[in-house]
Parts: sequence; C-alpha cells; structure tokens
Amino acid sequence: MKNREKVLQVKNLYITFNTFSGKVHGVRGVNFDLHKGETLAIVGESGSGKSVTNKAIMGILSKNANIEDGQILYKDKDLTKFSDKQFTKIRGSEISMIFQDPMSSLDPVMKIGKQIMEAMLVKENISKAEAKEKALNLMAAVGIPEPEKRFNQYPFQFSGGMRQRIVIAIALACDPDILICDEPTTALDVTIQAQILDLIKEIQEERQISVIFITHDLGVVANVADRVAVMYAGKIVETGTVDEIFYNPQHPYTWSLLASMPDLDTDASDELLVIPGTPPNMLYPPKGDAFAPRNRYAMKIDFKKEPPMFKVSDTHYAATWLLHPDAPKVEKPEALTRRIEKQKERQVADNE
Amino acid sequence: MLRYIVQRLIAMAITLFIIISISFFIIHSMPGSIVDDPMLPEDVKLAIEDKYHLNDPLPVQYGYFLKDFLSFNFGTSIKVQPRVSVFDIIKAKLPITLQVNIFSLILTVPVGIILGIVAALKKNRAADHIISIMVILFISVPSFVFAALLQYFVAFKWGLAPILLSTDATLTWTKFKSMILPVLALSFGGIATITRYMRAELCEALNSEYMLLAKTKGLSQVQATVRHAIRNSFIPLANIIIPMFFSILGGSMVIENIFGIPGLGQLSVSSINALDHPLTIATLFFYSLISLLSILVVDLSYGIIDPRIRIGGRK
Repeated sequence: MKNREKVLQVKNLYITFNTFSGKVHGVRGVNFDLHKGETLAIVGESGSGKSVTNKAIMGILSKNANIEDGQILYKDKDLTKFSDKQFTKIRGSEISMIFQDPMSSLDPVMKIGKQIMEAMLVKENISKAEAKEKALNLMAAVGIPEPEKRFNQYPFQFSGGMRQRIVIAIALACDPDILICDEPTTALDVTIQAQILDLIKEIQEERQISVIFITHDLGVVANVADRVAVMYAGKIVETGTVDEIFYNPQHPYTWSLLASMPDLDTDASDELLVIPGTPPNMLYPPKGDAFAPRNRYAMKIDFKKEPPMFKVSDTHYAATWLLHPDAPKVEKPEALTRRIEKQKERQVADNE
Repeated sequence: MLRYIVQRLIAMAITLFIIISISFFIIHSMPGSIVDDPMLPEDVKLAIEDKYHLNDPLPVQYGYFLKDFLSFNFGTSIKVQPRVSVFDIIKAKLPITLQVNIFSLILTVPVGIILGIVAALKKNRAADHIISIMVILFISVPSFVFAALLQYFVAFKWGLAPILLSTDATLTWTKFKSMILPVLALSFGGIATITRYMRAELCEALNSEYMLLAKTKGLSQVQATVRHAIRNSFIPLANIIIPMFFSILGGSMVIENIFGIPGLGQLSVSSINALDHPLTIATLFFYSLISLLSILVVDLSYGIIDPRIRIGGRK
C-alpha cells in the first residue's frame, strides 16, 4: 500500500473563518496523503473540519474562509494557490465531488440528461451526440433503469436514491481521478444507503479512482474505506488502515467513537457509551490536546502540550500522549475490548 | 387543465359581475346631475333625465343597466364625447396609452433585471448598496412626484425635453422626445420592483446546492450563474413581469394627466368628473378585465415555465 503513487497530498493545512464574533479555527494543520485507487475515509463529528478540508481541495470554500498555511499538492501543483479559473479547469475532470443532499443538489428546472452532459460539452471537445451516448452509458453504469426515458426527465421525477445516482453520474461525467464524497448517504434511508455505497465501491474499483469519503457514520467507514483518518476539532487525531482503526484504536477519541456506536449485538437494554461534554469552541482553539476536557484518560500534559503524531506502525499514527514511552499503560474501555473481540471472531467465522 | 381554465373563467365572470355591480351603485350615488346647464328650462331637464331613466329608483336603473350590459351593449358616452359608443372611445384611446407604456416596458424589464443581477452578484459591495438605495427611493417616492420633478428640472429648468406630450398623430422624432419624461416617470417604480425581486431570487439561487454542484462539475462561476442560477431565478419573476405586460393596457391616471397624454387613464378621470356614467363603468370594466386576465395568465404561465408544474401536474 505505501508503495502506491500518491495522487494528493495535504500538508499542514490551516483554515480559519472570519465571523462576527472573531476568527474561527476550522482546520488546524491537517496532513494526509491519498494514494491512487484507494478509499480514504475521514471521520469526525459535525464541525470537526472534515468538510472544510475537502472544500479547500475543490476550491469551493466560502468567501469568509482563509487558508492561513499549508499546501494541497496535486500533480506537483499547490491547489491552495489556485485561482478560481485554474480550479475550473481541474474541477470535474480531475477532482469531482458529490454532496450530502441529492434533493437540492440538482438544478430543479433542467433535464437530467442535460445536467449530465453539461460539463462534458463545456470541458471536453466532443459533439452533442457523443456526449449523449456517454451520458446514457453513465446513467446505465450508476444503475438507472431505462436511461433513454430518464434522460429527458426532470429531477423531481426521481426518488432520493435515484437522484444521488444521477449526482454520482454527473461527478463522473468528465472522468475524474479523485472523487470526494461528502456524506453521500446521510440524507438517504438505510436500504438505499447500502446500494449507493456498493455503487461507489464498484465504480471506484472499476475506474481505479481515488475516493475521499467524508462521514460521521463508522458503519459506513467499515464498509467502504481502505484507510481511515479520524478528525477532531480541526485536526487528524488518528490515522490508519481500516483494520488498525477498528481492531487496534489508540486515541481515546477513537475509542469513544467506536464504543458509542451500536452494532448488531447491541440490544435495547444495553447502554451505549456517551462522550461527555461538547466539542471545543473553535473561536478559541484549545491548548494541548483538544479532546482532553472530555477525555477520561487525560493526563496533566494533555492540557498543556499538544501531542505529536506517534507512530504505531508504518500506516498507523495517533496523536495522544498515551503512546509516549513514559505514559502509564492505559487499557481501552472494557466495552470496546469486548466488541473488538467479537468482531474478530465474526471475521474469522466469515473467512471460514 | 381545460377544466381548471373553465373554472377560472367562471370565477372571473362572477368577479367581474360583482365589480360592475358595486361600481354601478357607487357611481350612481354620486351627487349632481348630468344636466347642469342653469339656462336649461326645467321640463327639458326632466325630459333628458327621463330619457336616461335617471329619475327611476336605483334598483330599476340597475335592471336596465344589467339588461344592456349582459347583451354587451355598453351604451354611448353622454358628456365626454356625446353619442359616441363607449367601446369606440376606449378603442381610440388605447393606442395612445399603449405607445407610452410599451416604451416604458421596454425600459423597465431589461434595466430591472440587469440591475437586479448586478446587485446580487456584487452583494454587500458598493454597487449593491447604490442599487439598493435607488430601489428604496424609487419604490417609496410616488410616480407623480418624479413626474413633477422631471418636468420642473429636465423640461422647465434645463429645457432638455418638452413638458407635455406632443400631439403628433404618428410616432415622429418630436413625439418620441416628448415621450421620454412620461416614460421615465412610469418606469421608475417598475424598475425598482423588478430589481428587488431579481436580487432576492438570484441571491438565493447563488447560494443553492445546485450551484455548488455546477461548480464542482467544472463550470466556471459565470457559466454556472448564467445556466443555473439566473434560469432558476426567472421563474418567480414571471409573477411580477406578466402583470406588467398587461398593465401597459391600462395606463396611468396620474402620469397621463400630468403630461397631458390623452390616453385611457385620463379618459377615466374625465368621465368620472363629467358624471358620464356609461363611460366610467366601461373603463372600470376594462381595467378589471385586464387585471383578472393577467392573474389568470400568471397562474397558467407557471404550468409552461416551470417543469415541476408542467409535468408534475399531468398525473
């Protein structure tokens, strides 16, 4: 995995927002690499900066946002220095994005077919007939039955799941290398969610594109991701492969997230873990570890000094002082340990 | 769809009936008589009043009126243009009103839309603030104030344009020049209304999710704005632009009087002043018809412009 070609590198990205009450520190030094053909899931609660990071990659940050520091390297070019014009060139054809709410992300008064063809006709030098053919193929590829008939329909004639398929088709229209999925299944019901996830996975394998998958749903992560980055308060606190994050989490925040997620064995009487308190106010970025005030295992140093990324393995890093050689040995929460055991057993059973 | 139109037309007919009935009673309860020549002998006066059934009780007069009206006999003018059918009078006045108002419309719609787009694109910047101040000024100051100010400064003080409308029958250069001021006075309010709507609608469309998708799929800001945002913001705008097209038929009572335009607006004022009842009711009927029709056309136009209603409504 680590020998794979890096298609995107985000280096020490720092983004603030000007608001009436002051400067909000949305993203505070995020680092990650995206390899060719892999799916990187970025997990975190609302406001942790996962969407902002990706909007910066697409160049669609809101007007009050400032990129204070850092680089986004794509094909040896720094996207943070790009003008809107330069971004227009790479959007769609190199990096594309799908959004959370398929209900509102399609133009309500334009025919579906036209919306899919639009970018092709603008960006690629192809005829209308070719574009139509390509659009019909795309519609079939994303699982729209009767694409010929659907081609001339309007968004309101489609269900939520169908619309999300159309949005995916639009995002793929110009054959991008990177697809950013910003919580693409949040607005859909569970059965449709599974279909859309399968579709994204299928497309990703078929076209060998790299996918950044933003979500707060760990169940989704386990399903689609190769690697996971956990974000909290504008920082990545832990990153690793899916197995590492789910079976050997190191950061107390990851522990809490995993333990607070219900699974098949959870029944109604079980009490799920609750993370006490609320995320910090990013108008005043906290000193030390941002998670410390909500962390049962917090040590004195957590309130004073920010933990660096400690290496767990070649692919697994976590920013917690617990990994420091001098730190006391702390066990994961019991509920989590039990759950991991169970999951491992299940996986072994599945493999047999 | 057809059933809907028929329903609406029936409702319109009932509305019109109520309007003319109310206006009949109001107009006939105005004091004074159409025969006001003090030199006329009393019996001649009585004879004239009898001829028009003016001495019958009001309900009886209403009966006569309805009988004529329902057979589309609107009668003849009594005093403004004696013995000329009111239908012919309105027909003769309509082109004059139309001419001025069409020019006003040609100015209003594009200018309003362009200003609205500029304001929305430059939201919260200098251009937007200047346009917003203009809009507030144009909406809150009545058109006759503008008319008087334009006449005083542009026409009287600076002598750039004539004070009154030229009486040329055809559209000559002199006539066109004399139309500039009334057209301006008529347009300010409309421009302000369209600008305000356009700005609000476009601002909303610019912040929509489909604009974000349009950008991420590779359209430039300009392309995305023209193809998606402006297109979408035009739909609610039909709501105010279509009635404007109809209102050009009606003319403006105030502006026409100020600039001496012998159009429909002036006609209705003079008919009321002269107690020329058939003419007053005919003009009122005409005005009501125009506004009711424009409402109907607006409602129907949504079914044509907006695919959500056009196709969704078929089920």
